[in-house]
Amino acid sequence: MQEFAKIISTISLSMIITSYLIIELRNLRYSAYMYMIQAVLMCTLFAIFAIENHGLYYWAMTAFVTKVVIIPWLLLRYIKKTTDREFQPLIGYLGSIFLISAVVVILYRVTHSYIGFVAPSQFATAEPFRTNLAVSLSIFFMGLYCILVRRDAIKTVHGLLILENGVHLSLVTLAPALRETALIGIVTDVVIAVWILLYVIYGIYQKFGSTDTLQLRGLRW
Amino acid sequence: MNNEILYLSLVPAIAGILIFILGRKSRALSETLALLGTVITFLIAVKIFGQTAVQGGVLTFWNEELRMDALSGLIAGLVALLGLIASVYSVPYMRREVEMGVVPAERMGVYYGWFMIFLATMLCATTVNNIILLWVIIEGTTLASIILVGFYWNRDAIEAAYKYAILLTVGITFALFGCVLLYSGASQQIAGGIDPLKLTEIAKVAGKIPKSIVLLSVVMLLVGFGTKAGMVPFHTWLPDAHAEAPTPISAMLSGVMIKVGVYALIRTVLIFYPFYSIVSTLVLIFGMITMVVGVIMMMMQEDLKRFLAFCSVTSMGYILMGLGLANYLGIYGAIFHLLNHSLMKALAFLSVGAVIYSTHHRRVPELGGLGKYMPFTAVAFYVAALSLGGIPFFNGFISEFTLFIAGVKAGFPWATVIAVAVAILNVAIFFHLTYQVFMGEAPENLKAAGIKEVPVMMWGGMLILAFLCLLIGVYPQIVSPILNEATKAVFATIAMP
Repeated sequence: MQEFAKIISTISLSMIITSYLIIELRNLRYSAYMYMIQAVLMCTLFAIFAIENHGLYYWAMTAFVTKVVIIPWLLLRYIKKTTDREFQPLIGYLGSIFLISAVVVILYRVTHSYIGFVAPSQFATAEPFRTNLAVSLSIFFMGLYCILVRRDAIKTVHGLLILENGVHLSLVTLAPALRETALIGIVTDVVIAVWILLYVIYGIYQKFGSTDTLQLRGLRW
Repeated sequence: MNNEILYLSLVPAIAGILIFILGRKSRALSETLALLGTVITFLIAVKIFGQTAVQGGVLTFWNEELRMDALSGLIAGLVALLGLIASVYSVPYMRREVEMGVVPAERMGVYYGWFMIFLATMLCATTVNNIILLWVIIEGTTLASIILVGFYWNRDAIEAAYKYAILLTVGITFALFGCVLLYSGASQQIAGGIDPLKLTEIAKVAGKIPKSIVLLSVVMLLVGFGTKAGMVPFHTWLPDAHAEAPTPISAMLSGVMIKVGVYALIRTVLIFYPFYSIVSTLVLIFGMITMVVGVIMMMMQEDLKRFLAFCSVTSMGYILMGLGLANYLGIYGAIFHLLNHSLMKALAFLSVGAVIYSTHHRRVPELGGLGKYMPFTAVAFYVAALSLGGIPFFNGFISEFTLFIAGVKAGFPWATVIAVAVAILNVAIFFHLTYQVFMGEAPENLKAAGIKEVPVMMWGGMLILAFLCLLIGVYPQIVSPILNEATKAVFATIAMP
């Protein structure tokens, strides 16, 4: 794997940049395309890791079908039915970029330096698995950030997808021998969750006239 | 190979799929298939309950990928019983909703189809012995119930469905991280040839997993499955979802779905108790916070269903307290309260559903004096209120009392003091509420509307649940062998140092 360390690092960094763009692009359609690019990057990473662990080719294929094809198709379909403009977020561009950067830098540094805290074996503490784990945790928390601070419901789904990509990416280091049935179960759940969430968000758009989650204040206390 | 484990979730799943295919145009066919499916499922669950919870056996299927012991048998029995009662109750309740124009008749296929899939996922969750599949199925229970929560498709219902979907899906993603960490930590310790995904195998090596991985995964699992179980501060979806869903679904959500979250916690978190005392302390603290927040929020409610939803939060606090005490009596008490809460909370929701059915009101100030007009419903609600309030000779009292004693015996008298204080507040709140809704004089508009008792298909199930609450309250020995088997099953999967 050492010979691919540079490529893996570049792709991992690109995944962090695409997460930034998914969160910060105000056009939801472009965010969806960016998600598709991130998914392609993830499939490429799986394919590189699969050179040593052939079982991961299957993961790359599963991720391609669900994350590159089905989920973006669902996103674009519902964005077309609602609106492609993200509802004005609570934090502007500069503040958001500063906050995410702080989160990413701290998380990346901490995870990279104290990898032994989460790595199950010596093997997982070596490069490129160390970087993989640090990137996956950073992406996980970027997704969480997106869910917590964005008021547009469709953007929240994007956040959920970034969050889930973080977990999915960590599987390469934490659970490379995971059986296909388990993986299919995970991605099937994600696809169904996205579909049902988008269906409910379409209902919000029909009843409330927008996808602004701050409008959802009818049920309190 | 015990095929009945497979049939347990396969029967309702097939019934649900058939309803989606055939039931679209015929409401009667949807109802028939749902009733038939729940009856057959109940019979299978009774057989499994007998073999596991009563006789203490362990059933397995497919190389132990599916495994049921006394605890899973008990929870599966509860899910199937409440599924049957809720499906029978749904027939008149949802017909009335169609007559009133609240929902179109052609959507009944959607209701019963998702109802059966929801039932299937909950039953399946009690059978899996694979940590990743457990996560998949727990998330499946959420996905199957989102459409049911938002079924009325009005502003409030859609808002509740959105919050329910997003909070539980995000929460459960934390649990996925926890499950993956747990699996990765355990797989290094499990000998080759043995499947490290199996919960029973992970439990055997729990003490050998590095402490940092254990702590991180436990936090992730508590956030994830705790959200599902309505644990404070991750409970915010619960009052909205319970209040806005059709009442039979509220009964299922509160009666059994949140228990599936507790079941997942028992299977994944309790295995570390003998090795890291911080884990049980964390569960205990979360339990106490949940209990106190729940009872404070109960006092602020005017909506009957939201009131009961917060009451569920309080009860989950009691269950988590028992689990956090980490001694035999505490876990016994937690399982006992889990059983009792399923029965009494389902009964309370179905009684409130009957009130809504007859009066079309659910806010407490708009109700009163209903006991005269709805005697069966009133009796059912009195039993539910007295049980939930923890009054002697009702089942809630026995399990709460067990938890109080367990608290003292485990060396946490402060926990018992808080729990007793919460129980006293609970009694006061329930007495007040029962008086306001069922006693005194009925408002003129209700009298003029000619309110009357609900059909037998609704009160029949309520009386069965009321009878069970009373029976366990008066003669708790009837369930103690079952609870002993379930508690032993929990300890049997925990490796000792």
